[in-house]
Amino acid sequence: MNFHVYNRDLSVGSIRIIGVSSSSILMIGDTQTIQLASVFDTPPESLIIGPFVPLARE
Amino acid sequence: MFRRTSIVDEVKIGTMFYSSIFEIGDSSIIQGFSRALAVQREQETFYGNEGNFNIYPVFTQPIPLQPVEISIPMYTENLNPIIKVNHININGVSVASVVHIGSSNHVSMETRIKHIRQLFPKNKTQSVDR
Repeated sequence: MNFHVYNRDLSVGSIRIIGVSSSSILMIGDTQTIQLASVFDTPPESLIIGPFVPLARE
Repeated sequence: MFRRTSIVDEVKIGTMFYSSIFEIGDSSIIQGFSRALAVQREQETFYGNEGNFNIYPVFTQPIPLQPVEISIPMYTENLNPIIKVNHININGVSVASVVHIGSSNHVSMETRIKHIRQLFPKNKTQSVDR
């Protein structure tokens, strides 16, 4: 299999973005490889109802 | 390697914080990493020394990733070697993010966030303890 890419004209008027956050990337350009990973944890156990207890220290 | 040239007339960025990068020009490797404990409390009591990433598995568990090397041969022909953007307007860039005008070779970004919410019991019968 041969994968042949022809990059012709690419012209963008305007880009409007509210936020780029949490290891995100906005790239105006080319790249060979890109790898993105995200872990987001909000389990029911993370809701702690009760008397205030500080979190464990380092 | 024959690359395309990025032309951006105007960039406006409102705020950049928490290890964010605004890069003009080409790069070779970009690696971004961030972790956060997002704690919300009914009472605004926060000690400066709280939090230990190691006790939460979300910060240590491995993430399965696709291999980046592709086995099929790829040929790129840049018939018009210009990427043109007139205006970019960004309100905020945060938490190890990158705004990059130019080309790169390898990009790898990772983020891990753990949310914790602490509330007072409404009455004793409803209280659920950790």
